[in-house]
Amino acid sequence: MSVLKIKDVSKIFPNGTTAVDSFSLDVADGELVCLLGPSGSGKSTLLRMVGGFETPTSGLMTIDGEDITNVPPEKRPTGMVFQSHALWTHMNVFKNLAFGLKLRKVAAPEIKRRVEGVLELVGLGGYGTRAVTQLSGGQQQRVALARSLVLEPKILLLDEPFASLDQHLRERLREEVRDIQQRLKITTLFVTHGQDEALSMADRIVVMRDGKTEQIDRPDVVYREPQTPFVAGFIGTMNLIEGVVSNGVFSKAGYSTPLPVSDGPAILAVRPEALDLTASTTGQGKVHRVTDYGTHGLVDLELKDGTRVKAMVSHPDLFQPGQGVSLAPRAIAAYRDGKVIHRTSAVAPAPHPALVDA
Amino acid sequence: MAATLAYRKLDWTGIVLAAVLTLVIVLPLVVVGTWAFTNVWRYPSVIPQEFGLRFWNQTLARADVWSSISMSLTLSFTVTALSAAICLPAAYAFARLDFPGRNLLFFSFLAGHAFPKFGLLVAIAGIFLQLNLIGTFWGVVLIQLVGTLLFMIWIPVAAFQAVDRRMEEAARDVGASPFRVFWSITLPQAGPTIAAAILLSFVGTFYETEGAWLIGAPQVRTLPVLMISFINNQPVIQYGAVLSVLLWVPSFIALLFARKVVNSGSFARGFGG
Amino acid sequence: MTASDQIGSVTPVRRRPYGLLLVATPVLLVAWLVIWPIISAVIQTVWTTTPQGQGAVSLDTYSFFFSDGYSLSNLSMTLWTTGVCAVLLLVVCLPIALYLRFSNTRVAVYVQGLAIFPMFVPSIILSFAFIRVLGPNGTVDLLLNSVGLPHIRSPYLTPWGPVIGLVWDNIPLTVLILLSGLGSVSNQAVEAARDVGAGTLALLWHIILPRISNSILVAISFAVLGIFSAFTLPYILGPAAPEMMGPFMQRTFRELLEPKTAITQAVVTFGFCIVFGLFYVRSVAKNRAA
Repeated sequence: MSVLKIKDVSKIFPNGTTAVDSFSLDVADGELVCLLGPSGSGKSTLLRMVGGFETPTSGLMTIDGEDITNVPPEKRPTGMVFQSHALWTHMNVFKNLAFGLKLRKVAAPEIKRRVEGVLELVGLGGYGTRAVTQLSGGQQQRVALARSLVLEPKILLLDEPFASLDQHLRERLREEVRDIQQRLKITTLFVTHGQDEALSMADRIVVMRDGKTEQIDRPDVVYREPQTPFVAGFIGTMNLIEGVVSNGVFSKAGYSTPLPVSDGPAILAVRPEALDLTASTTGQGKVHRVTDYGTHGLVDLELKDGTRVKAMVSHPDLFQPGQGVSLAPRAIAAYRDGKVIHRTSAVAPAPHPALVDA
Repeated sequence: MAATLAYRKLDWTGIVLAAVLTLVIVLPLVVVGTWAFTNVWRYPSVIPQEFGLRFWNQTLARADVWSSISMSLTLSFTVTALSAAICLPAAYAFARLDFPGRNLLFFSFLAGHAFPKFGLLVAIAGIFLQLNLIGTFWGVVLIQLVGTLLFMIWIPVAAFQAVDRRMEEAARDVGASPFRVFWSITLPQAGPTIAAAILLSFVGTFYETEGAWLIGAPQVRTLPVLMISFINNQPVIQYGAVLSVLLWVPSFIALLFARKVVNSGSFARGFGG
Repeated sequence: MTASDQIGSVTPVRRRPYGLLLVATPVLLVAWLVIWPIISAVIQTVWTTTPQGQGAVSLDTYSFFFSDGYSLSNLSMTLWTTGVCAVLLLVVCLPIALYLRFSNTRVAVYVQGLAIFPMFVPSIILSFAFIRVLGPNGTVDLLLNSVGLPHIRSPYLTPWGPVIGLVWDNIPLTVLILLSGLGSVSNQAVEAARDVGAGTLALLWHIILPRISNSILVAISFAVLGIFSAFTLPYILGPAAPEMMGPFMQRTFRELLEPKTAITQAVVTFGFCIVFGLFYVRSVAKNRAA
């Protein structure tokens, strides 16, 4: 079982763009860490450097204490699952899985045993003789996973493996992958731009932006206590209201709430599910639209200057467009200069899946 | 129902085109084929008086036919093998490596196509004259080799570029060395297209007449060159007809195997379409 | 623009000059057997040695070519043949290509097969078939005779012989190039024009032709380059005098043993085709880069 350490790794491409900027991360034995970020945040480049397909401009990477920074991909104990599955279409399923074992001069009966075992593991027992082009998208991605697993890599790397699949299949496969990963206790680094994937699979999430780390934490912590306004806006739905603090009170366009921080500009962050609304004629906001999701409702409201705020309510029928409302946040955070400066300790209810996906 | 009926309407334009093209393209070849299996066909009979294989025996008994068949095959194999040996590594380099002047060198293979072919052959013959390559086997090899370069590089480059880079990376990932990746992944993936390019270049060389005639004749006598002299000097029509059928065999093979490549849009685009 | 932008969508692995080693042999071959002969041809024909043993620039060989009646009649016959072939090719191939683009019947598959077929018939076999069909006592004569009609005036050994052969030979690539150009005319563009009331002719003139004008020029350039110095078909099917530039150069080189005169003739053909050549190469390069 294995530990991956990444220390101060940077990647500057020949055209001058900095894809990864002094990135450090330790992945513990058997841990699944998700690299989450928008496209261009450097997460794929980082993964490809761990796999050996890009060479870091500077920095150090070790697996179980062994320096792998300049080791070519074929000599690394890593196994990569590619986004486009990258199966070899001129070989059948069995040959795809056996290729790496043959290179390692494993005896034929042993190859057969191991390939069949792994195919069983990914739920494709008996598919060995199929041509990979005959398989469905989900099956192809399972074969790609099996191809990496059969070599028993120390580190498993997954590069947006479900991106080309439809929503339903994606959800099923990520559960399967998580199950397999936990059963084998294999150290895994997973790249995705889908927050639902990260939240549901990861032991820890690394939120990346412009090649740098924004926050590294457990999924629930990243969700409840985002350290920067970027993370707050990127994960789940978050109302980010830019306003001014003066004498311990935050105000924005007629709305104000106590905020015990020093005077100056601040961004107030409130989750829709942590924002209570009460009808009031002299309200701070006005209802713009009400959407009924059946299990709950979502109210879009406008502050006096047009700033939009979302609130989750349990009885959407109590609100009509045009109605005045007052805002009562149960939990807030405030940011200044990209850092968190205040957080109420109140616990928000568990995130609703519909909101997390939005 | 109305829509399907409209589609069922007879395709008159197509039928007229098909009829005219059949007459113009198929008929002449049928005539040649008929002559090859004719023992007696005297004017003015519309069909031959006697069919038979007599002239196959006579044609195949001629020493000049056999020597030019072996000359043509030797030449085509030599040129194709040399061309593959020098062009495929170059194609791989153009597709996968970066080096100074890559673009300019890649497009330099077009140079020969900016000039009328026979004029260029005469200019090359001028050089060969000084090198005493006129009338030699290797002179013909060289001139035909130059003719294969463009397609033996451009088609394989496209084939190599079409191979998914992730497939190659996945092979590196499971432990294959760069050479092993090329051998086990890249080459098999690009294989069918490259095979078509090799076949086309073999057939192109086999039928190359101008260079062989200008540089090689009369010492190096390929099958097409022999055919010219049959047409010019041979009163027995059937010799030419039998030779035509023999000559067509490689083309027929190319027709069977390379048709898909020729019909694909990328082939026409290669000609600038 | 970087290298990868032009040749294809490849991000080169690493910039190491050993790629140069791999491409060296074919590149040197092109330099030695394409570029150098052209330069050398021009130099050879304009550089003479004076009786005093000094080099001098002289256009004597060219002034001979352009004052010699026989050379000029060969040149004009070549120009005539090329022009007639180009026009005929368009007249024949454009309807075929248009038909193939806008129909998907089984007949269309057959027509496409036939139109491509000449590509798989070497021109030497074509020459032989031509003589057997259109030559004296050929199939056409047989058929005419059998219904009691007089003989045709055979095009064999007349200027029309090479024209018919060259058009036949060039049909496949012309159709393919035009068809590839027609691929850029979308069905929606045609349907939209129909929708606003364009008839067949208006459709052809205002919608289709403007979009494939470049493909037409490419097809013509390709045909001109091939036909202008064609050898086999004019040599076998054409008249002995005047002859086209291809056979003329061959005879001057191999039979009259006057390589310098032959090379002058070659440079003249370069001169007449240079516009088409450059246009053709530019189009191919542009296509390949895209």
